Amino acid sequence: MLLQLYLARYFDVRLIKEKKRGRLKGTLYSSHNQEAILVGSLFGLKSTDWISPIHRDMPAFFLKDARKGWRNPDRIGMTIQEVCAQVWGKAGSPGRARDNWSHIGSKKNRIIHSTSMLAGTIPAAAGVVLADRLNGGDALCVTYNGEGSTAQGVFHEAINFASVHKLPVITIIENNEWAYGTPNELGYSLDDFARRADGYGIPGLIADGQNVLDVYDKVMQCVEHARAGNGPSIVECKSFRAYGHGDHDDDRAAKYRPTEEVEAGRSRDPIAIMKRIMVERGALSPEDATKFMAENKGAAETDNSDFPPEVVAYLTEGVEFAVASPVPPAEEGGMWVFAE
Amino acid sequence: MATIQESPNSASAPSPAPVRGKINYLTALKEAIDEEMGLNPDLLCMGEDIGLLGGAFGVTDGMAAKYGTHRVYDMPISEAAIVGVACGACLNGKSVMVEMQFIDFISCGFDQIVNMTATYHYRTAGEVSIPMVIRGPAGGYGGGALYHSQMNEAWFAHSPGLKVVCPSTPSDAKGLLKSALRDKNPVLFYEIKELYRRKDIEEFVPVGENSLVPLGKARIAQEGTDLTIVTYGQNVYHCLEAAKILQNEGFSAEVIDIRSLVPLDEETILTSLAKTNRLLCVNEAPMTCGFAGEILARMAEKAFHLLDAPPGRITRLDTPVPWVKPLELFVLPSVAKIAEAALRTVRF
Ligand SMILES: Cc1ncc(C[n+]2csc(CCOP(=O)(O)OP(=O)(O)O)c2C)c(N)n1
Ligand SMILES: [Mg+2]
Repeated sequence: MLLQLYLARYFDVRLIKEKKRGRLKGTLYSSHNQEAILVGSLFGLKSTDWISPIHRDMPAFFLKDARKGWRNPDRIGMTIQEVCAQVWGKAGSPGRARDNWSHIGSKKNRIIHSTSMLAGTIPAAAGVVLADRLNGGDALCVTYNGEGSTAQGVFHEAINFASVHKLPVITIIENNEWAYGTPNELGYSLDDFARRADGYGIPGLIADGQNVLDVYDKVMQCVEHARAGNGPSIVECKSFRAYGHGDHDDDRAAKYRPTEEVEAGRSRDPIAIMKRIMVERGALSPEDATKFMAENKGAAETDNSDFPPEVVAYLTEGVEFAVASPVPPAEEGGMWVFAE
Repeated sequence: MATIQESPNSASAPSPAPVRGKINYLTALKEAIDEEMGLNPDLLCMGEDIGLLGGAFGVTDGMAAKYGTHRVYDMPISEAAIVGVACGACLNGKSVMVEMQFIDFISCGFDQIVNMTATYHYRTAGEVSIPMVIRGPAGGYGGGALYHSQMNEAWFAHSPGLKVVCPSTPSDAKGLLKSALRDKNPVLFYEIKELYRRKDIEEFVPVGENSLVPLGKARIAQEGTDLTIVTYGQNVYHCLEAAKILQNEGFSAEVIDIRSLVPLDEETILTSLAKTNRLLCVNEAPMTCGFAGEILARMAEKAFHLLDAPPGRITRLDTPVPWVKPLELFVLPSVAKIAEAALRTVRF
């Protein structure tokens, strides 16, 4: 888990650096400070389970089923090469770079293809597991959503439907306190988004989104609930968006958010919290805990020595693959409108 | 709690009645669904009130009992979720027939249709195709007022990745729906509710494979030599009436029922224009950006040299559809309006 936290963090840091170096264009949506939500929720899933990540969840694409080993060819998840090729808009992307950033997916890897439409894939998650059940399977689907997306009508429609048919859809609400430039108090009259579950008669749990073990624990309670045939649930993960909505928004975010709030929000770095717990439990020596000091630093303040070498090596392979991969031929713009 | 009793031999294919009379448009639709449900165990139905009740108009009457509630779903009143759930089921190997209770309500599911479903094949570079049919009762002339009278097919013809179909006869209703249910792409299927039980259009309709009608082929509803009238849906009958008026004036009109808007059979229209050299397009939807305008534009591009008169169109006024009869008929295309425009065109 710790290694996966490093990998997710390094993905973020490395892309920002690649952009600064001029090797990458486009907007980046940072998962910095929210990595524990992804790592903790994915860790206990079966390979055959589905996930539905969105813009804040880019590492989920390559962390899916990563417990088997990132490089394991039997892993049911995307490779770092595929994900990097997507970020770079290259032909090596599973979606051949037809849409940007997180708007990819894979039937084979059981990842629902996301769109820009917030909460727009939750109905599909319900449909996917419904079909799986009809096919005799027991797959569940974990969907990821910002707390802002819970205001969408389709969020309600889909979870309501899932609750009627007791479909195994676990909705993760990444409550990072902000939806782009809007603080939660302007969007909601609700402190705990987990309470949305009450409206559907399903369990709503709250996890400390900075503590990967707590996220794991709460999600696994929901997984057991779903596998026992009891249907959907919601897990609200309390977190904080450390930087701008996207990197284009970093400068403005520094102005629209009070400094004290940002400092408090960044102070609970999930990597540091995981290390502290591991040291307390004797799973990590205090010396080893200080070997790679990625925590509590912005991208510019870190260098490769702050991350375990296997993390740097894996990501570097992805980046080099993406840089070398060609841009798809222009004519592809006219292809695949209809299936033959 | 109300439950649906499943009939004992639920999985067996439908057995055609030995002697068949003429059937109406609604029965034809029902037969199409029944036959395809019997043939394809991966086909599901989803919609509001379609199971226990059998649909607001009865198109899915008996399907839940015959095929089971694991294949025919009574859905919550959530058009976006209905389409989205269907899309997810298609992503995972199923085909889904979605019923919109009235096609007017489709706007509540719009995003899931045009952004989620229509684009799936494209944005996955061909990895995923979504075999979904969204069908529902459409059209005016029945006093349904603003929200039970619309023809909003142009929204979807304007969204790449969707096929759009609109049958006007029982044979086409059955044959096109069967083809749509077998198509790998999402198909918007416009049923004309005023035709559901119309007596004078009942006809003999084949059973099984013989009833299939391909998508993308127009039908010549009436042959003629002086003018081509291109239309679809309920207006086919108005145009046929107008053609009689023309005949009394000594002109012969060819009436083409395009049946399928996307893909459009341009060939049949072009062939007709080569013969008649005059064009009138008629649709029930509002004028601006309506499909009649699309046909006019394409023909102006491809057949300008064939035309001996300015091509024309008759459509709904650019208004909603009002409730009471005189107002409704004022805004919709009528036999008189079509005949008048047709005479102007042939006399130009
Ligand atoms: C339907 C829809 N409306 C608006 C947007 C634009 N938009 C993209 S992300 C975002 C904020 C999302 O906030 P939240 O759901 O809390 O996720 P976060 O970015 O905080 O992780 C907005 C408004 C969109 N993508 N989709
Ligand atoms: Mg947020």
